[in-house]
Amino acid sequence: MPTSRTAPRRILLGVVGAAAAVALTACGGVKTTSSGGGDGEYPTGNIEFSVGASAGGSTDLITRALAQGIGKELGVSTPVLNKPGANGALNAKELQSAKPDGYKIAVQNASLFTITPLTVSPAEATKIDSFDVITGISRDDYVMATSAQSGYKSIDDLKKAGKTIRYGTTGVGTGAQLASALTFKTAGIESTAVPFDGGAPNLTALLGNQVDVSTMQIGEAIENIKGGKLVPLAVFSKERIPFLPDVKTAKEQGYDVQVTQYRFLTAPKGTPENVKAKLLDAAKKTFATTEYKKFNEENSLTPMEVSPQEVLTSLQNDSATFKAQLDKYGINLAG
Amino acid sequence: MDISPILDGFGVVLEPTNLLYCLIGVIIGMLIGVLPGLGPGATIAILLPITYGIGPVSAIIMLAGIFYGAQYGGTITSVLLRLPGEASSVVTVFDGFALAKQGKAGTALGIAAIGSFIGGTVSIIGLTLVAPVVAGFALDFGPPEYAALGILGVLLISSIGNGNKLKAIIAACVGLLIATVGRDTFTGAERFTFGSLNLAEGIDFIPIAMGLFGLSEILYNLEERHNQVHAPAKVGNVWPSRKDLGQASGAIGRGSLIGFVLGVLPGGGAVLSSLAAYALEKRRAKQPERFGKGAVEGVAAPETANNAAATSSFIPLLTLGIPANATMALMFGALLIQGIQPGPQLVTEHPDVFWGVINSMYIGNILLLIMSIPMVGVFVRILRVRPAIMAPITVLITLLGAYTVRNQVYDIFLVIAFGVLGYLMKKFGFEPGPLVLAFVLGSMIESSARQGLLIFGGDPTGFVTRPISGTIFALILAVAAWPLIRKALPRKTSVERVEEKIK
Repeated sequence: MPTSRTAPRRILLGVVGAAAAVALTACGGVKTTSSGGGDGEYPTGNIEFSVGASAGGSTDLITRALAQGIGKELGVSTPVLNKPGANGALNAKELQSAKPDGYKIAVQNASLFTITPLTVSPAEATKIDSFDVITGISRDDYVMATSAQSGYKSIDDLKKAGKTIRYGTTGVGTGAQLASALTFKTAGIESTAVPFDGGAPNLTALLGNQVDVSTMQIGEAIENIKGGKLVPLAVFSKERIPFLPDVKTAKEQGYDVQVTQYRFLTAPKGTPENVKAKLLDAAKKTFATTEYKKFNEENSLTPMEVSPQEVLTSLQNDSATFKAQLDKYGINLAG
Repeated sequence: MDISPILDGFGVVLEPTNLLYCLIGVIIGMLIGVLPGLGPGATIAILLPITYGIGPVSAIIMLAGIFYGAQYGGTITSVLLRLPGEASSVVTVFDGFALAKQGKAGTALGIAAIGSFIGGTVSIIGLTLVAPVVAGFALDFGPPEYAALGILGVLLISSIGNGNKLKAIIAACVGLLIATVGRDTFTGAERFTFGSLNLAEGIDFIPIAMGLFGLSEILYNLEERHNQVHAPAKVGNVWPSRKDLGQASGAIGRGSLIGFVLGVLPGGGAVLSSLAAYALEKRRAKQPERFGKGAVEGVAAPETANNAAATSSFIPLLTLGIPANATMALMFGALLIQGIQPGPQLVTEHPDVFWGVINSMYIGNILLLIMSIPMVGVFVRILRVRPAIMAPITVLITLLGAYTVRNQVYDIFLVIAFGVLGYLMKKFGFEPGPLVLAFVLGSMIESSARQGLLIFGGDPTGFVTRPISGTIFALILAVAAWPLIRKALPRKTSVERVEEKIK
């Protein structure tokens, strides 16, 4: 075939071209539009949401749900960028040095400000003073559970077992670890922490009876609790949680341990008031949609749509309480 | 056995999008299989970031298609040009090219395609039956078992791979060392981070894979000009005669079995099983001298085995979350990008991914059979593309992709650094595969071993008294001692040499 000299090259270029096009479309979601120069009313360009965790986790899902709603309200596009690393600290560092114009915002976790500083050097700890809080979002509570075969039904049962309890956590410096450590210490139960790298391995180890109990976020455990494979022992919120109405709080069982994860919307320090007001308004309208409410329910999230001041007070109280409790019982989270 | 999730899986595959990604995957696989140099590992590494934008099921279906598609494509160049497109098709060269010289190139390609199809299909049926059983046991796999499996994997990949064993062990050790970078997940202590937040969570797998597999291969191939390219042999009738088929049938059957078993083993995979299947046929043959001169079995056995192995190596990944070889480590990374943790929970939590991927392989193999028999001529023509055109485009895609995963320029520099490292490794005869697999398994070995010790209350005997981990540790000992045993055996026959050594 005389034409075959050029034909294959064309085929291949076509294929490679298509691959390049796929690559470019994949990047389409990450284009960052400049702030629009300040003329005209905010927002005139895209609002970028960055996430300090990888795709698929709770923080990522919440960010995406919120970004979608806010984008719809404000009529701009709201690309979500995942910047995982150092428990969210990497993303926080980047956000705090961004231009405070409301075009770069992020949903952040309370634990980054209340628990992580207890395990890392002071220089590395992220401070809430570097951010403006726009609104609280939702609470993501913890539950301590055991496998159905173990026979334990409450924290007291663990105490009666009279042996060293091995408990799985979702990692060092997480609320799951703090809640368990405090509970066992206040109850006077001998225990060893076995940290796993996140929720899924922790759950697998518990289901396989590799550890006696595990503490994890409710959304991670609820299906197995409903399916009867896991037995919940305690939740660590102030009051019982609507998703698990029969499960007693640690406080009800006589152990004053309250640890909860919550998330809030933040912008770099010094963001103009009118910008913050716009964002708050759009967030509130999103919170009110049935779609968003359904999202919360499906993921076992309790709304905590409170004012910035309330978020700051919670953060301060939590930090102080945790520090005092750890000091009092001589617990070192870094093991 | 409840078959409704399996049927649902077919529903997932038959969705037009997934069918399309399956087709794209096998076409890319065929293409890169045909192009000498760029292997499935490199391609998957380069395309990893692109999967970010598509759903998890479609993404894995496409990547899997690339993997087993490459096994088909690799045959074509082995037979026609005496140039293996893939490492797993190296042995096919001997008899495949000999057949081509005899004017029977079509027969060789036809037999290879049919063998590949049968090997692949047998292996998928095995996967369908075995995977849920393994997944059922998976909860008995606790930290001690994972630690043991990880050690076995590193040991196997560095001792039974092709090439220099010492160099493979060195590469694996470097991989283990790189895995220690980052914050210690147990104590929060910083290790080799030099105060950098970028290193605080360790080095990400994706830039390592993209650099070591992707960029380094491109650099290396630019240097290796394929000057001595023959004109492709003419392809005649690709439908093998009944006599040829009869001759190959035994080899295809045995190749399927060998491939399936070796694919499951950590450190095994397509390359090893093709070598083993070829060796077995040669040993069994009544006239072993026919091998290398155009024996049909010499093409059928390795091609069947490499496809069977490519498929069965998904078993440990999908059921236990343990990658059996470097390519599976890439699949592991692809699942993680999608927010899916490969492991025992996969089959219950993401049955669509589990069965969707497995069932897509039936479809993919049928597509490949169609492509490799009537359409073989199209793929042969691709061999004429100059590397000077391919290389810059692939480099661009690689670097662009590296950035999009975490949106950090830092990752681009990592890819370049590991690309240079991989290039230098290849220059000095080191394979990047053991490094990458040891890196993935390294953090698993460390954390599982420490979790195990915490569970045992600090008593290390627990590792050998638990039945499963005890068995695996016995295997580890056997593998580690094997070279010594083998050395000792022939010495018994030549007593003098032993005496010399003693002196």
